[in-house]
Amino acid sequence: MLLPDYYEFCCRVKIVAGHDALEKIPDLLIERGAKKPLVITDKGVAGAGLIDIVSRALGDRVQADLIADDVPPDSDLRVVNRLARLYRDNACDAIIAVGGGSVMDTAKGINIVVSENAEDLMAFSGVGALKRPLKPLVAVPTTAGTGSEVTQVAVIKDHEKHLKMAFGSYFLLPDISILDSRMTLTMPPFITAMTGMDAMSHAVEAYYCLQKNPLSDAHALSAVGMIYRHLPLVVKNPDDREGRLAMAVAACLAGIAFSNSMVGLVHNLGHATGSVCGVPHGLCMAILLPYGLEYNLHKMADVMAELLLPMAGEQVYLATPAEQRAQKVVSLIRGLNEDLHAITGGRHARCLQEIKDREGKPSVPRDVLPQIAAAALLDGASIYNPEDTDYEDNLMVLEAAWEGKPLDRSRVKKG
Amino acid sequence: MNSAAVFDFTCPVKTNSGNKALEHLPVELAGLNAVNPLIVANARAVGPKAVRTLMNAFGDSKMTLGLFEGVTEAADLGVVDHLKNICLEKKYDAFIALGGGKAADVAKVLNLAVSLKTPDARQLSPKTPVRKRLLPLVVVPTAGADGLETSGFAHLNRMIFSSEFLAPGLAVLDSRLARARKGILMAATGLAALGRAVESHVSADRNPFQKAYSFAAVRFVRENLPAAVADPGNKKAALAVLNAAAMSGCAFSNAASGRLHKLGQVFYELLGIPQGVIMGMCLSRVLEDGFREGSCDPAALLQPLAGDDAFARTPAGKRAEAALALLNRFLEELRGALGKDLPKSLSEAGVSGYRKEEILDVLGKDEDGHYLRGVVEGMAGGKRERKG
Repeated sequence: MLLPDYYEFCCRVKIVAGHDALEKIPDLLIERGAKKPLVITDKGVAGAGLIDIVSRALGDRVQADLIADDVPPDSDLRVVNRLARLYRDNACDAIIAVGGGSVMDTAKGINIVVSENAEDLMAFSGVGALKRPLKPLVAVPTTAGTGSEVTQVAVIKDHEKHLKMAFGSYFLLPDISILDSRMTLTMPPFITAMTGMDAMSHAVEAYYCLQKNPLSDAHALSAVGMIYRHLPLVVKNPDDREGRLAMAVAACLAGIAFSNSMVGLVHNLGHATGSVCGVPHGLCMAILLPYGLEYNLHKMADVMAELLLPMAGEQVYLATPAEQRAQKVVSLIRGLNEDLHAITGGRHARCLQEIKDREGKPSVPRDVLPQIAAAALLDGASIYNPEDTDYEDNLMVLEAAWEGKPLDRSRVKKG
Repeated sequence: MNSAAVFDFTCPVKTNSGNKALEHLPVELAGLNAVNPLIVANARAVGPKAVRTLMNAFGDSKMTLGLFEGVTEAADLGVVDHLKNICLEKKYDAFIALGGGKAADVAKVLNLAVSLKTPDARQLSPKTPVRKRLLPLVVVPTAGADGLETSGFAHLNRMIFSSEFLAPGLAVLDSRLARARKGILMAATGLAALGRAVESHVSADRNPFQKAYSFAAVRFVRENLPAAVADPGNKKAALAVLNAAAMSGCAFSNAASGRLHKLGQVFYELLGIPQGVIMGMCLSRVLEDGFREGSCDPAALLQPLAGDDAFARTPAGKRAEAALALLNRFLEELRGALGKDLPKSLSEAGVSGYRKEEILDVLGKDEDGHYLRGVVEGMAGGKRERKG
């Protein structure tokens, strides 16, 4: 295990996990002097009946009947300000965010406004503008993938001014994250598959990208093993409570790993593909992950090889010669995507050309690849990628990922 | 993962580790809204150079620094009360504990007293409710740290204060402060880290978050302690051991207080013997007994101790024995390298029969007292007493 010349690691979130973890929230709030939380979520989560489960678990020891269930899929400054007013008008003293990335971002935005009495959220944007703890924030993720329950960033969009405000501070970390199997039990198989692969991409990239450190490594190794073992099982058998809990824990471990070591080419190209074509982030991650490994293999083969044991177990590890282990990891990830494709009846795309929109039209036509390759140059994730990337490199990887063919590694410019 | 019950995990400590890590302190403190920190140190233990290195790191940051370097091993709540009055008068808004042991204990309880504005800190006890975040606390462990610096525990006046709010918000592990003057100091730090990390890693109710810390700590000790002991000037190895100590404290804070910890702590509190020295003496026995009783799972140690290849080659049913054998060999090699500097028994550590009785009396009050007393008796002359 390598010790970098310098590293930082932080995850101050209290993690509570179990099949009945939600029931711990009242005690945890009372310990922190809070008894009237504002519950925020989105229509999808509420419609799936998850808020009913949360409300039942909260019982009557705290007053949690104020529920805002209209957080949009894309965070919105107007919603943040409106919900902050709701919080103040009702003298709330904590926030419970139930949902995915947008709900978490919105909750963090509300928390800045109500804790700092901020009129203008913009004054707190950037890194390090917050100087003191905010109100208690409880994060209840409803997918096992994003890791946003343990990240210290938030993005809020000002749709009127066409501005995207980014916030980064350890004070944005939720105080508590609740990982409860009931929150993901009804997630459809193809969403389970892609969100799970999102978590896998966090763990794998965290393990081989440049800012890795011993603690991010330990979290990533554990996550990779758990995801590889449990993801196909829960996609096949959505009612598998143990598997659901394991995936929630693994996604959280992966979230801790990547938010402390950063990510590389896979996220770089994935963000660009998502923004140009509007395709789900997790699907981009699943498709691009083997290519990120292949692109960096000449620099990080020894490191990547260490992923084989947690993924495949002792027999496969011992049967694979040391110099072939990294390549074996790549083929196992590809195999996992194949399995998920088969289990979901083809809904889990294996390559970019297989991604379809609701009408069944291709979401990523081949002729947009140059646009994606160019957009990726503006994304910061490439900084932490072991091998340098430029426009041609991006395009080469995207074309291979579009076709679903392994990368021709002889074409990778070795820096 | 034990998913039968709800588990929780917290590590409030941020880690900054490496070259010139101390130089980041002004920015870190400013980010916590602190401008007037008080350094709490045992200058005799850490030496004047460490104090100078820490103070110089603030350069032209314009922060006002307070310094109390008079913490001794005998420090108690009276010292905390005295310091609390000074802090309230001088409006210190953050604390930096330099070095391990009592300096960290005093800083944690002082933070409690100042944050709660306790009228008389001598009245503080483990029953004092801690329900809110305290002022920023930074620990800067040096060689000789015991790992408890990063934990939510503080030992003072023979009382154990415990709360996640007592844990520091930041641990700064700086290469310049990691090196020890003697190999035995490094060994004591590494063995205390190993003892606590092992105890956390093999416990039946461990969870994956806790395991991440204990795994990394055990592996770092195994890979770096021999080099750090052989050459106390080896900065990289010493820093890795200090990292292991910090990680072990985080894992330990989330585990039930184990036998090794209790034994290490009682000898340190009563006789001032470094915890790692005691843990090194009884580590094998406590693990073997736990394995026999079915209360711990040493097989989990094989991967961090032996590495991936050896772990994979060992059949599952033989991993516990293999891990125990490896651990014994590791300890023997350490003893071989340090010779008489690392005592193998209480008599070699200079513990008289009278002092041993004192230890036995204290342990007798523990719920696990019968067992712990048996271990101490077995350590007396360096010979193992086998049961059954």
